[in-house]
Amino acid sequence: MYDKIMALYPSLTEQDFLTVITLQNDSDGKGDYIAKWEHPTLAQPTAEQLK
Amino acid sequence: MSSIVISGDTSGAVTLTVPATAGTNTVTIPASTGTVMVSSNMPAFSAYQNSGQSISASTFTKITCNTKEWDTNSNYDNATNYRFTPTVAGYYQVNGVIGFTSSVRTNSVAAIYKNGSIYKTLSQIDANFYIVGGSSSVYLNGSTDYIEFYVFTNVSGTTSTGTDKTSFSATLIRSA
Repeated sequence: MYDKIMALYPSLTEQDFLTVITLQNDSDGKGDYIAKWEHPTLAQPTAEQLK
Repeated sequence: MSSIVISGDTSGAVTLTVPATAGTNTVTIPASTGTVMVSSNMPAFSAYQNSGQSISASTFTKITCNTKEWDTNSNYDNATNYRFTPTVAGYYQVNGVIGFTSSVRTNSVAAIYKNGSIYKTLSQIDANFYIVGGSSSVYLNGSTDYIEFYVFTNVSGTTSTGTDKTSFSATLIRSA
């Protein structure tokens, strides 16, 4: 998930993933997902873009 | 050994027992209203990982401490949700540590989640360390509230295992 997002938006920084974006994995077998996307300028990637 | 039995109005009873040992001891009940805490109504647990867990880069990932050291009230789920849901309301001291098998990462965060959301960020390291962790206190209502332990790290990797490495624990420090 992280690598795919970074490929879409190379300008994102580590700090973005600690503030305006939260990727999460609840260790329930469902994998990584976007729990929060509040980036001021970049749109949340679609499921299609993350395939 | 002498005992006093106080029976409830409709059912149940409490027995106060004095040990059969020499000497005079004094227990002072405070002039206050509250619940007397005894060992059986003070939940505490400690668990650790016995197998390494893969952590994705920059992703808050729940830590799966699957081996219990103790769980006095059977309130920690070490098989499915890896969460502590105590059955006694009160204030809990929570501790967590995550070890990594390598120190290549430069940014890691340990966090306590309460009811599915970040409650406290325990610590953040910005250097090449193997270990991240910390402690905090949290109020839990004794029925629906639960806590879990997550980690964020900027480089994917694997947790290290053992009682002295990746672990999660909590203890009731004061009843509600």
